[in-house]
Amino acid sequence: MTSAWFKPELAELIINHGDIFNETHSIIADIVSGHLDIADLVENMAGVLTNKEPENREKGMRFYTKILKELPRDYLNDMQVKFISKFYIDRLKDNHRVVPPVIEGYSVLIDMSEYNIQNCTDFLTILFREVTCQSQTRQDRYNIYVIIQKLCNKDIEYLKSLGSDFVYGVITAMDGERDPRNLVFLFEFLQNFIKIFPLGHLAEEMFDVISCYFPIDFHPSNDDPAAVTREDLANSLAPCLCAIPEFADSCIILLIEKLDSNLRLAKIDSLKLLIESCKTFTPQSYSPFLRALWSSLNREMSHKTDDELKTTAHEALGALVAKMASTANTDQDFENFLKGVIISAQSTIADATTVAQFVKGTKILLTAANASNQSCASITRAMVPATVAYYELKTAPKLQIASLDFIGDLYEIANKKGLLDEVKAQITNVPQICLSAVSQTSKEFQMAGFKTLIRVQECLGEDLVLPFVEVLIYNVQHAQDNDLLGISVETIHVIARKYPELIMDLVVKGKCSIDNISQDKIAFQKRLNVLTNLASIDDFTKVIIEEMLKIITANDPEALHVVEALSGSISMASVFTIEKVTQIESDHGLIDPVLDWLYKEISSSSPDALAHGYTLIANTIGSLPPEKQENILIKHTPLALERCKQDDIYFLIIECLYTPLHQIVYNSKFEEIMTVSLQVALKSDKDVVRTKACVLIAHLLNKAEHGQKFELLYEMLKTQLASCNRGDEKLCPRLIQLYGWITKSLLMRGSDVFLFWLQKIVGILATPQYCTHGSEAIKLIMNENTDYLNRKQHCRISLLYKQRMFETFSVLTEKIKSNLSAETKESYLLSWAYVLDKAPKTVLKNEANKVAPIVIDCLEYDNKDMLQVSLDVLCHFVQSNPTAVSDSLQTILPRLIALSKYMKSMDVRIKSLECLYDIANTFRTSTLLPYKQDVLLDLAPSLDDKKRLVRNVAVRARSRWFLVGAPGEEKPN
Amino acid sequence: MTKLADNVNPNVYDKGSEREKTSEDYNEDIEDLFDEREIFDLIRNINDPEHPLTLEELRVVEESNIKVDNKDNTVVVSFTPTIPHCSMATLIGLSIRVRLLRALPSRFKVTVEVSEGSHVSEHAVNKQLADKERIAAALENKNLVQIINQCIATV
Repeated sequence: MTSAWFKPELAELIINHGDIFNETHSIIADIVSGHLDIADLVENMAGVLTNKEPENREKGMRFYTKILKELPRDYLNDMQVKFISKFYIDRLKDNHRVVPPVIEGYSVLIDMSEYNIQNCTDFLTILFREVTCQSQTRQDRYNIYVIIQKLCNKDIEYLKSLGSDFVYGVITAMDGERDPRNLVFLFEFLQNFIKIFPLGHLAEEMFDVISCYFPIDFHPSNDDPAAVTREDLANSLAPCLCAIPEFADSCIILLIEKLDSNLRLAKIDSLKLLIESCKTFTPQSYSPFLRALWSSLNREMSHKTDDELKTTAHEALGALVAKMASTANTDQDFENFLKGVIISAQSTIADATTVAQFVKGTKILLTAANASNQSCASITRAMVPATVAYYELKTAPKLQIASLDFIGDLYEIANKKGLLDEVKAQITNVPQICLSAVSQTSKEFQMAGFKTLIRVQECLGEDLVLPFVEVLIYNVQHAQDNDLLGISVETIHVIARKYPELIMDLVVKGKCSIDNISQDKIAFQKRLNVLTNLASIDDFTKVIIEEMLKIITANDPEALHVVEALSGSISMASVFTIEKVTQIESDHGLIDPVLDWLYKEISSSSPDALAHGYTLIANTIGSLPPEKQENILIKHTPLALERCKQDDIYFLIIECLYTPLHQIVYNSKFEEIMTVSLQVALKSDKDVVRTKACVLIAHLLNKAEHGQKFELLYEMLKTQLASCNRGDEKLCPRLIQLYGWITKSLLMRGSDVFLFWLQKIVGILATPQYCTHGSEAIKLIMNENTDYLNRKQHCRISLLYKQRMFETFSVLTEKIKSNLSAETKESYLLSWAYVLDKAPKTVLKNEANKVAPIVIDCLEYDNKDMLQVSLDVLCHFVQSNPTAVSDSLQTILPRLIALSKYMKSMDVRIKSLECLYDIANTFRTSTLLPYKQDVLLDLAPSLDDKKRLVRNVAVRARSRWFLVGAPGEEKPN
Repeated sequence: MTKLADNVNPNVYDKGSEREKTSEDYNEDIEDLFDEREIFDLIRNINDPEHPLTLEELRVVEESNIKVDNKDNTVVVSFTPTIPHCSMATLIGLSIRVRLLRALPSRFKVTVEVSEGSHVSEHAVNKQLADKERIAAALENKNLVQIINQCIATV
């Protein structure tokens, strides 16, 4: 019982020895364990709490507050809290030095679980009377605000009962606050406070106090640790200004005034406030100001260069229109306002001489239309006929096209809002306009016309189908332009869905009929494309597919074209869904006739010519469910294998049957197929057949089920390859290619055994004789081929397999790095280039230190592919991770400059110049300055390059280098 | 102090499209000669010193006011100030000159002048722009170089 806090000497200690402040935890322990009563403690502190010197009283209060802070929140009982509260309230009247710890301590006291809200009445009265909040320090002001907030959270009803005195106190306390952090806190708090407390006659007062901050003009200093941004302040202030409908008048006047200011930020803030205010204010409160608001909004929306301002103004208009629309049926104001908007936009459109001006007008209307159903209906009713008339005035072609787009946009909004019925009378004319547009010869008009027609397809009348079809069919057969062709086919498709019978008569059995072969072959092929496209629509499938199969079965000379068209359309997943293909196969039997046709043609035609046939079969089988796939295999495998023994060209049929299978499909023939594929892959004389065999092996390995089935196939493969003669010079390149495929397949499967094969390939890279084949194999592994090993053919594609390849490759090459000769080095670097090219860029960034030297090495070799890739990667490093290459600038710059004159490829020249530009753009001025003069001199010849594209980049790079370290350069360092 | 621009609300025109890239552009064997369009592309995006707009949008430079002769190695650019008493005419001319100086091979002799009849002190401006020594002297002036660099930085 010797501790100081049990004796009155405690007071002395607090005054003279600051150390006692560090021992409060022991005091708390004593209090909590019951050794010391808090009343005794206070008694012991009497000497300091009632000391004559304010300085000492402050110390005493500080100590007391510290004790309170550390006490458990539920320790004090009701009476004790009341007592302490009284004491603290009394202290508020003390010297100004004593006030800060008192406020801090009272804030803690409120948190006590036994704190009774009634204690606060006196506290608040005294606080507002005795303490001038704004003459306290920042932290103390903050504490006062926190106390108010805490009390509100504790018992809002009680505080409300305190009436306007409390509200007035709060207003006075915060009036004139200047600190941004406190302001953010206050604004957040006030948003709710204003809504909850009835402000009564103080509403105006409150608004004045907060509105003086609007618009926020604040520039934070750069080294502020707890940075508050201007946006934080602005975003929290706006909801306060429009928190309750009572603010409406003052708020709207304020924002109109600020909208007219010259400051850009004031305008943006006012617009945002307008948007925010639409959430709380009543429509009636805007009525008197609509004219002023519109003129300001209109002015901001027609700003030429400031996009942010323009967009915000559009948003504000949208919010305002939506708000006003809620009174559409009771009040004239909305109608008048909207009329004003329409008239003003119309005059902008009428005066427009450029597309930009035209779009300015239409954009305003679209924003207004988008805001509410009423405005959308009115605007569509007024503008669609007006725009149709405008189109017919034949102003400038660009404007006419823009007006078509505008009609399409309006229509879409009306459609989205479900208002088409209301505006039916106005929109019926639209397809007519589209027709007159597509009847023009210019491509732009036709494109715009078709585009709009597709958008307004719902209102296309039956009578217009024929003229449209005339134009479309002409386009389909004669258009040279791919865009136009594409959109024409799309339009036919759209019309066909709406009027199947008409299109059936006009197109399928009429103009595009298959029997109508007389014309030239190209037009015929294009017609076939349209037909196959239409075949995806249920009504047409039967007629078209049957016609086509007839041709294929009869083995007409046209069969080739039919197969090509079918294959092209069926491979487009957007046109033919999997279900559709399955349905076609089961209803009409696509595979059998095509296979028969292939058998007939295979010996006489070149494999390239029949490629479409194989693709068609593969795609069709790929879309079928597993059971159907199995049936097809059973039906066709024996014959194919039989023929394959005689001539390996028949292997192509096996390939297209077996590559697109589902993973679960497996039959007894698989092993035989594997053996045949291996033989063909190594022995066939035909390149195509060998590649296809490799592809099939890769597919089988990739898809075989985990466990027994995979092991079986894999072991077979391994034993058969082991028996091959490595000395055979003709065989080795084929083996290496096969290794590539095997590695790729296993890698994509996510199987670890790929390492075994990759090791072999990396080993080959070190042999002078075959190193080029090795790098080809690496290329094969990294390249993504859309035709093989894809999801459509149900292959396994493990995530991040390229990253895995990159990592494994970099480990494996460590071993051969040291013993590379001059010959093998190039292949080694080339392989690296292939890996780097496809590896994810984020991985490269992490491995920059390893990759950068390789890339820089690559720049010295005269190999186009390698140079392109390494320049690509180098550019990437310069942009994202400049430190990785900054030390090597002395080496890199001369190499890049040499490459900027690389005569063999303009792509390399362009890339190297781009890289030089990036270097000037990213590195620190101090790093670059030593090289500036040399680079400028060396770049001069590229300005006279014979290719214009190169010159453009050279100009860009050289101009950038001129700016390095020059006045006017905008660079942070 | 903010000085008000000479022409506060100039007419703004549409931007032309980018030069289309033809297959010839990608053919390594064909030599592309310098043409008017290429010179125009070099200077169309120079910023006006007064507005955040390009010389093309203000129609200060137009493709038809440029002449290129590959044989004689000459380039002649005439530009049209937005108003006849524009005090920025010399500065605009200087910017065009500096841009071309940096972007064209040295074999070309570049002439930059005000289009006939478009400026009150046409001859004075043209004389200044044709005087090599005055140009060199102007480029010694740090403030001037800064403004010019800012005008042509984004090109």
